[in-house]
Amino acid sequence: MTDGQTITCDALVVGGGIAGLQSALDLADQDFSVVIIEKDLSIGGKMIRLSKVFPTLDCSSCITTPKMASAAHHKNITIYTWCDLKELTSNKGSVRARVTQKPRYVDQDKCIGCRKCEYSCPVYVPDPEQGGFCATKAIRIPFSNAIPQTAALDPESCMLCGKCEKICPTGAVDYFQKPFDFTIEATTTILSTGFEMTTIEGKPQYGDGKVPNVVTALQMERLLAPHGPYNRVLRPSDGMEPDSIAFVQCAGSRDKSMGIPYCSRFCCMYAIKQAMLLSGALPLADIYIYYMDIRAFGKGYEQFYQTAKAMGIGFIKGKVGRIEEAENGSVAVRFEAQDGTGVTTENHDLVVLSLGVLPDWSPEGICSVSTAEDHFIQTVQPSIGPTLTSRQGIFVAGAASGPKDIVDSISEAGAAAMEASNYIIAQGK
Amino acid sequence: MSDKNKKKNKNKAEQERKEDMKRLREERKSSIQRAATMVKTQRKDLKVLMKQMGSESATAPELAQATGMDVAQVIWYLATLKQYGEVVEGAKNGSYFTYKLVVKEPEEAVA
Ligand SMILES: Cc1cc2nc3c(=O)[nH]c(=O)nc-3n(C[C@H](O)[C@H](O)[C@H](O)COP(=O)(O)OP(=O)(O)OC[C@H]3O[C@@H](n4cnc5c(N)ncnc54)[C@H](O)[C@@H]3O)c2cc1C
Ligand code: SF4
Ligand code: SF4
Repeated sequence: MTDGQTITCDALVVGGGIAGLQSALDLADQDFSVVIIEKDLSIGGKMIRLSKVFPTLDCSSCITTPKMASAAHHKNITIYTWCDLKELTSNKGSVRARVTQKPRYVDQDKCIGCRKCEYSCPVYVPDPEQGGFCATKAIRIPFSNAIPQTAALDPESCMLCGKCEKICPTGAVDYFQKPFDFTIEATTTILSTGFEMTTIEGKPQYGDGKVPNVVTALQMERLLAPHGPYNRVLRPSDGMEPDSIAFVQCAGSRDKSMGIPYCSRFCCMYAIKQAMLLSGALPLADIYIYYMDIRAFGKGYEQFYQTAKAMGIGFIKGKVGRIEEAENGSVAVRFEAQDGTGVTTENHDLVVLSLGVLPDWSPEGICSVSTAEDHFIQTVQPSIGPTLTSRQGIFVAGAASGPKDIVDSISEAGAAAMEASNYIIAQGK
Repeated sequence: MSDKNKKKNKNKAEQERKEDMKRLREERKSSIQRAATMVKTQRKDLKVLMKQMGSESATAPELAQATGMDVAQVIWYLATLKQYGEVVEGAKNGSYFTYKLVVKEPEEAVA
C-alpha cells in the first residue's frame, strides 16, 4: 500500500477484535471482499489477551488464534493494523474512509518476525501486553501470538543505537518511516471498535492506583495466562505467592460518582472465572469476591456461579468503601457487609479491581453515527435490529454498542454480517 | 556504470544516510536522552543484580536485601530476564520462588 492509494472493497470492518473478525469471516465466506482496519499492532482485541473464558474455561488464545489466522489468510480479507481512522463518511450506498497508516519503523513486507532485533535492543520498557509486570524492548514483536508477527519500534524509547538495524537479517528496520494516508471505498461498514476499561487511577477511595498489589482484572488475566509475566500467579510488589486474594466488583461501574451508572455485564462472570482459575492455580489460597449483586444472566452462568460457591470461593455481599496499603505488602479492604455485621476491614495479599467499561472509540468528529447516553454507539432498533445504527449502511457489532460478553459479541457479529450482506446485495453490487 | 562511478555513488549514498541519521538524532534529541539515561540505570541495576545472583539461587526479597534495590524492581527485572531466557525459576523457599542465572556459552549470550 502506498501514500494516497485508494482501496475498494465490499465491506470495511473497523476494529479487529473477536466481533470484527467474525463479521469479516462471515462476509468473506459469502465471497464479499473485506478490509479490516485495526488501530493496534495486532488483531485479536481483548480476547487474545485473556487466559481462559467463562463459562467453559476453554483456553482463550486457542479459540482466538485460529480465527485471527483464518482472517489473515482468507483470500477475500485484507488487514491493515496500526491504523488511525481519520474520517468515515457514507453516501447513497457507499462509504469512504480516510485512514492514516502509522509508522512501525519496520518494513512489514520484509520482516520475518525472527525477534533478532528485540533480543539485541538494549532498552527495556514496561510491557503493556504483560500488564507492565515485566519488560519488553524498544523494538519488539508485540506478543507471541500477535498477527501480524511484525516487529515495531517505539520511537519514544529508542536511543537510535543502530543495533536492531545491523542485526536484522532482511534489512527491515527503517528509522525514517513516516505516517501516510490512504482511502478505502466500500459499500458498507461494520463498526466493531469494542471497549476499554476505566483506569485504576480514577477513584481516590480505591487508592488511585498507588496501593501496591492492587491490580486490574486485565492484569489478572495476564497473571493467569500460561505465557504470563511470571508463568504463575505472584504478587507484583515482591514476588510472593499470595495466600489471600480478593475481587472488588463494580469498582468503576454502577457508580454515578465516576460518571458510569451502568453495569459492565461481564465483570461478575470474569471475576468468578478468575477466582475459579486461581483456586486451581493456588489450591491453598483464600479467595473472596466483594459484590453488590451477582449478575449471572447467560446460558450456564448461574451454574458457573453455584460451582464457584461449591468450590469454596467466598462471596461477600457488601460495597467496598476504601482500599489502603497495609503492612508487609498487604491490602486493607474496608467494606460494609450486608449480613448485618457492619463496617469491617479485611487484609488480602492481592486485590483485583473489576473496573468500569467504556467505549474504545468515539465517532465524534469522524463519523456521523449517533451515540447513546452512555457514549457507546447507539443501536436504533435494539429489539429487532441490534446491529442497526443511525446511518444506513453502517452497522455495529460487539462491545462497540455496549458491554457484551464473547458469546453475545460473536452472535451479534454474525447478525451484522448478514445485515451488511443484504445491504450490499440491495445496492446491486 | 564504471566501478569508479559505482564507488562514487555508494560513497554519496553513505554520506547522505549519515546526514539523515544526524538530522533524525537531532529531531529525537529529548527522547534519545531519556532512553539513554534509562538504559544507564538499567545496566547498572542488572550488573548489581546478576553479580549478586552469581551461581546461587535466591528469592526476590533476598536479592533486594543483598543489593539494596527495591524488591518490586528486583522481581520486575527477574521476570524480564526470565522472558529473555537469562534466568530460570528454581525451588520454592517459603512463599517465594528462587531464581537462578542461566549459564550460557559465550557465543550464546545476547547483547
Ligand atoms: C478482564 C476481562 C475478562 C473477560 N473474560 C471474558 C470471558 O471469560 N468470557 C467472555 O465471554 N467475555 C469475557 N470478557 C469480555 C470480552 O473481552 C468481550 O466480550 C470481547 O472482547 C468483545 O469483543 P469486541 O470485538 O466487541 O471488542 P474488543 O475485544 O474490545 O475489540 C475491539 C477491537 O477494535 C479495535 N479498535 C477500537 N477502535 C478502533 C478504531 N477507531 N479503529 C480501528 N480499530 C479500533 C481495538 O483495538 C480492538 O482490537 C472479558 C473482559 C475483560 C475485561
Ligand atoms: S535503534 Fe532503538 S530500537 Fe533499535 S536496538 Fe537501538 S535502541 Fe533498540
Ligand atoms: S525487524 Fe528484522 S530482526 Fe526484527 S523481527 Fe523483523 S526480520 Fe527479525
